[in-house]
Amino acid sequence: MDFYAFVEGPLLWIAFLTFIIGSLLRAALFFSFSLKKDKIIYQHFSLKYVLATYARWLFPFNKDVTKNPVFTILVYVFHICLIIVPIWFSAHIALWEESRFEWYWTAIPDALADWMTLIFLAIALFFLLRRIISADIRLLSTFSDYFLIVVVALPFLSGYFLSHGTVDSIGILGDNMELIHMLSGELMLILIPFTKLSHFVLFFFSRGATAIEFGRRGYTM
Amino acid sequence: MSEEINPKEIMNFLKPRMGARFKTWLSICAHCGLCSDICHYYLTSEKDPRMIPAYKVRFLKEILKKKGKVDRGYLQKVYETVYYECNMCRRCSLYCPFGIDIALMISLLRSLLFTQGIVPEGLLQTVENYKEFGNQMAVTKEDWVETVEWCEEETEEELVGIKLPIDKKGAKIMYTVNAREPMFYPQDIMEVAKVFHVAGEDWTLPSESGWDDTNLAMFCGDVKTARLIVENTFKRAEELEVQQIAVTECGHAYRALRFEAPTWLGYTPKQEVIHSVELFHDYIRDGRIKIKEKIKEPTTVQDPCNIIRNGGLAEKNKQLAEFLSQDFRPMKNQGNYNVCCGGGGGAMPMGGEMKKQRLQSGKIKADQIRETGAKIVFVPCHNCIDQIRDLSKEYDLGIKAIHFKEAITEHMEIPEEMIPKEDEE
Repeated sequence: MDFYAFVEGPLLWIAFLTFIIGSLLRAALFFSFSLKKDKIIYQHFSLKYVLATYARWLFPFNKDVTKNPVFTILVYVFHICLIIVPIWFSAHIALWEESRFEWYWTAIPDALADWMTLIFLAIALFFLLRRIISADIRLLSTFSDYFLIVVVALPFLSGYFLSHGTVDSIGILGDNMELIHMLSGELMLILIPFTKLSHFVLFFFSRGATAIEFGRRGYTM
Repeated sequence: MSEEINPKEIMNFLKPRMGARFKTWLSICAHCGLCSDICHYYLTSEKDPRMIPAYKVRFLKEILKKKGKVDRGYLQKVYETVYYECNMCRRCSLYCPFGIDIALMISLLRSLLFTQGIVPEGLLQTVENYKEFGNQMAVTKEDWVETVEWCEEETEEELVGIKLPIDKKGAKIMYTVNAREPMFYPQDIMEVAKVFHVAGEDWTLPSESGWDDTNLAMFCGDVKTARLIVENTFKRAEELEVQQIAVTECGHAYRALRFEAPTWLGYTPKQEVIHSVELFHDYIRDGRIKIKEKIKEPTTVQDPCNIIRNGGLAEKNKQLAEFLSQDFRPMKNQGNYNVCCGGGGGAMPMGGEMKKQRLQSGKIKADQIRETGAKIVFVPCHNCIDQIRDLSKEYDLGIKAIHFKEAITEHMEIPEEMIPKEDEE
């Protein structure tokens, strides 16, 4: 098997499985630890406060939106693009259809996917620059904070190049863009359970737990 | 106390306490910085990045990473951050998109320092007093009972039939105070007695330890003593067979008894814990206390972190202020999202070593009060009231900070039969 076949075959399986099983494990670990050491969550569990806090923070109805509107809205747009484009981009759906699963769902228009990709990349660049320029954020930042922005941006950048042939004339890049795209996407998937990117699932536990802690005081946070 | 830090001891303390929440918080914090301009220390230090709440808890991650191999100098740095740069007000917890409860991690670090004998002098003294005398100010039982009796004698002339019942079995409410009330502010006890008398309340004061509801051990991470203090109070309530334990206008006492006690004790006591704000609010709402004439001067109200954000009494606090005022002016961010005054989390009883930081970090509160144009500030917390009085001097606010009970006793209607007869003069 050549490297290309490995990347589009077994490695893709490894990446998806690592992502799925790893994320499930993170969730399971939260449960097993919290049952022993965070009993307060269960003693005061209230679905009302948990759901209310999800609604406030998954949608822009929270205090940060009024406090820091520009940054917060950019964060929302960033996440929307990050989720929508990879799942609903027509070329990705075509691959799912060709796969053994033969799954098919409606795609978003390619032009929209293009715009969302560009917006996503612009925001990623802004996040990176903000981390470098702002003394506040620089002090907080660790290597992984910078690195993960690059990791998350790379599949989008390479995806854009791939579908538009932007850098096809640049020998080695042009020849291997598909490989770079797949590899960077796989890297991101693999890293999710092991880095702060795991917030995509742990967000729900952390927010829920704190919402219960304030909910027992009688209000939604 | 040796100079050497035993890494094993550090890890033995931390490991069993690193629950799912702490672990998750340390691993998912995105370092986004949204908690920065929420913190009053950040806002009053020319936005010093080191004051960002997310940065202050880096120690916990570092200590775990180093497997506890830190020295006393390092722990001293931790001390300066967790005591001089945080009141554990939990405002940042409300603004973190992930709901990371930074104050809880600061609290864990304080507990860790306590195990190494690193505790602010002012707080340590109170802990010793709790252990020896059952209250933070080393008041003896005799002095406490005498003070209460004296309060009764003093108020008898003002209100006919007033009683300050000590150890009355089967009373509905057991009222608990801050130890500084018998020490320095007996008028607080007299005022609440008047409110109870006019409201026709069935209440009592315990003579044995448990009458001081403050719990400064909670702020220096001494969970053992913190538990002992709440245990005392609930034991008295049990003996006196009361239904409710009422807490004076003190913030952290309420938080400790109402929200932390069940965790420390391992069970939920059957007596309901109720704060003065709620009690007074309900008296006026239900017509048990009638306000004769509202305060004419502009007023505002402080939102003590442990009663409002951490106590859930935001609405009642504001309404109570409105019941008493003709011209009530809410502060910016009134309610759960209000800014800490800078006196909480043990900062006030820490005394001199904290004064500079306390006055500096309180500038936001001073500005907030000034913006309202209020002349009277209701402050239902002993720590906040001292801090706000200090802020008034420091920033020349020209305000009067008072407890609710002072305003209520001055402005409530006294039923005819309770007014002493003039002809006896």
